[in-house]
Amino acid sequence: MSGGTITNQIRTLRFMAGEMSQAELGQKIGVTRQTIAAIEAGKYSPTLEAAFRIAEVFGKPLDEVFQWRSGG
Amino acid sequence: MPHKEKIAWMTLLWIAVTYGPYFAHVVMSPPEPGLMPNLPQLWLLALALGGNGVLHILGRIGLWIASPEDARAPADERDHDIERRSILVAYYVMMAGLTVVGLAMPFTTSGWTIVNAGLAAIVLAEITNNGLAVWNYRRSAA
Repeated sequence: MSGGTITNQIRTLRFMAGEMSQAELGQKIGVTRQTIAAIEAGKYSPTLEAAFRIAEVFGKPLDEVFQWRSGG
Repeated sequence: MPHKEKIAWMTLLWIAVTYGPYFAHVVMSPPEPGLMPNLPQLWLLALALGGNGVLHILGRIGLWIASPEDARAPADERDHDIERRSILVAYYVMMAGLTVVGLAMPFTTSGWTIVNAGLAAIVLAEITNNGLAVWNYRRSAA
């Protein structure tokens, strides 16, 4: 299995949503502010359900929020 | 810092200040293995166990007062993920320790040596559990 990384646009999307705070986003999807910070920084990969919930908050399809970068 | 990470740090600290002195005493002046119940030793054990419990309750209250919102919030998926991974490794540490205590030690020793070895296995598993939790939280911290 080749490596890869998950990147995301959460920081940009939060900015576009009126500078929504990490705590606010966390509250909307049922996780802590620290977990949102970890997801945003690419240090923690959320479950598929949490990923869909985040996309739903911003009204975007999942692939506009999260992207898979193949490691080759 | 997530609430669960604070609890893990706190647990490690209370282990150090209660079981640390207990095991230091046991190593420096081991109780006679065959002498049971050995009330002075039993008191020391009760002090370590009770002290740990009381400190844990006080610490939890302190954390709750310091940040009630964090304390009230249920564990999220990252907390569960970290807990699952830490407990899995800690379980094997405890099983390995208790296997030695239960299957090998009765052939070579008895009494307080076995009691303390059993307690050491449990404490080691608890250190593993909380140590791994802290490491996983630090590793995935933004």
